[in-house]
Amino acid sequence: MFGYTGKVLRINLSAGSCGVEPLRMDWADKYIGSKGLSIRYLYEELAPHTDPLSPENKLLLTTGPLTGTPIPCSGKLAVTSKSPATGTISDASIGGHIGAEIKFAGYDMVIIEGRAQDPSYILIDDDKVSVESADGIWGKGAYETEDLIKAKHGCDHSVLAIGPAGENLSTMACINTDYYRQAGRGGLGAVMGSKNVKAVAVRGTGAVDVPDIKKTTDRIIDILTSDVLVEDNTFVYDVGTTAFLEACNDGGILPSKNFSDTTDKDWVKYNGDVLMTYRQGKRGCGCCGLGCGNFLKFKGGTVEGPEYETISVAGPNAGVDDPESIMKYNEVADDMGLDTISAGDVIVWAMEMTEKGIHDFGIRFGEGEKMCDLLRMMAYREGFGADLADGVKKAAAKYGGSEYTLEVKGLEYPQYEPRGSWGMSLSYAVSDRGACHMRAYAPNVEVFEAAAPPYTAEGKGEMVYQLAEFNAVKFSACICDFWATLDYAILSELLTLVTGKEWTEQDMSDTGRRVINIARAFNQREGFSRKEDTIPKRLVKEALASGPAKGQKIPKEAFDDMLDQYYGVMGWDKNGLMPDELISSLM
Amino acid sequence: MINVRIALRGTLRNLLEGGEITVSIPEGSTCDDALNAAGIHREDIPSFGFVSVNGMRVMVTDTLSDGDLLKAFSRIGGG
Repeated sequence: MFGYTGKVLRINLSAGSCGVEPLRMDWADKYIGSKGLSIRYLYEELAPHTDPLSPENKLLLTTGPLTGTPIPCSGKLAVTSKSPATGTISDASIGGHIGAEIKFAGYDMVIIEGRAQDPSYILIDDDKVSVESADGIWGKGAYETEDLIKAKHGCDHSVLAIGPAGENLSTMACINTDYYRQAGRGGLGAVMGSKNVKAVAVRGTGAVDVPDIKKTTDRIIDILTSDVLVEDNTFVYDVGTTAFLEACNDGGILPSKNFSDTTDKDWVKYNGDVLMTYRQGKRGCGCCGLGCGNFLKFKGGTVEGPEYETISVAGPNAGVDDPESIMKYNEVADDMGLDTISAGDVIVWAMEMTEKGIHDFGIRFGEGEKMCDLLRMMAYREGFGADLADGVKKAAAKYGGSEYTLEVKGLEYPQYEPRGSWGMSLSYAVSDRGACHMRAYAPNVEVFEAAAPPYTAEGKGEMVYQLAEFNAVKFSACICDFWATLDYAILSELLTLVTGKEWTEQDMSDTGRRVINIARAFNQREGFSRKEDTIPKRLVKEALASGPAKGQKIPKEAFDDMLDQYYGVMGWDKNGLMPDELISSLM
Repeated sequence: MINVRIALRGTLRNLLEGGEITVSIPEGSTCDDALNAAGIHREDIPSFGFVSVNGMRVMVTDTLSDGDLLKAFSRIGGG
């Protein structure tokens, strides 16, 4: 077998058992790996309406056939489960080296099910698998957790770890690896915590078989030099996603003060040029080739990042202009094991609630130092932090202020303001895991390439579908978003080289559509339909007061038109429901 | 004549020494006119993204005023 190991490791924590079973290659042929394959497994294995934090939910760690090869940007792993934040399927792509280690240990996928009786961590050393006591580790921050496990078992283990937020079942809890890389969205850290699993440590010593190693490596080197290390991609090495800040500001999609407006006159105080003055070093995931990570050292600590999302939510969206405050927010959120996007959106909502006199959370716009206090309160569920720890939708249900929440299906908005890029409101609405910018990145077309008019519904259904199709197959092949010049010709060629099975460009397109559909089928079975594909009230009611998109709001009729278009492209009905024959074709 | 400062962003920076230049162009000139005057021909640059004037995204056909800051961004992806 080429590319795949053909093996799935299943660990049942309730039974205290583990076993190896064959990978469903019939599903791999349809869904490749990672995102798509893991969703297909969960569609099969999870009973409808399973409580996401119950032992019956499962956490899947899924590689792809390219994982563990020297193919650039292939150092990713899909972490997939039913989300406690949304009740939808949720897959998060995490970098670092853990994906390759799982593959080298001999597995395409690890399925974690049940619940350990006591706080534990899972140790995988090739074919030796054990569940160890987490005494002395439970309760620690994510950084120290990795330190302790590596000190005990060796630095050659890659570690997935949760912080206190995951232990305390915050629906914004993330999973960390290599200290600063996260499976951030959808509360997957809480799923791990609900299973009493503090960490998963993996070391593998195997390899990935390919049909013709010389032909494969020669072609990888060709592609690396001709298509990866080119100017369209190398900005990632130079400044990482900090480059987005100025582009989003000038493009009119940088949110400020809880999405009450866009643009920020103070962005020059914390933009990429400023942050890079703190840079001490660079890092990439396994087999990257680009190396987006920036290690920044500042007076209050060290962090790899902050990425654009974190800069935006802890900077302009919080009314904060101090770069060290933004870096500290990043460092503390990672250590607490909280998604910087969701936790940040909750905090900036709390700031606005205080400012408007709806409820006094003791924090106002501009109070960057207090943001870290709120992170800790949420992670440990202290005081009102216990209410905020379950996300902005539930917090607003208790305290009021739902007109100021930015979320879809309970997942908080990423940092791209849709009133400056209308297609993004559709993208967030139809994303399989709630508001997510990684499913269809509309600003790329509407703003950064200026290739489609941003303030119209016309053509946005097809545009968002095309973007979503590409990302769905890319993440199923487990390739990073930063290989921006990747296309179906190269992706299908690489899959063919590694698996020995011929993949065509049409296969890529078909697989992307199939992956979107299997995720939708999962969510439909849970009861989701058009009524959950929503746009936040603020975007419909309030026009932007400044910036290039000044005066823009998204009429409800325009949003509904975009939804109709998208459903039409997908072959779903007016309620966003898939016909039975379409679901049958996915099996 | 009007003076317009041009600043290139992202990978476009490499097209000009220091990534910046000031050009003198006739009144009524567009962003495209200014870029052409600086030797930046966007139709020849696949990675060309969008332009802003004084921090606000505009169309390349929009006209410029004396003292404007014209920025040209390369395409970016990911997030």
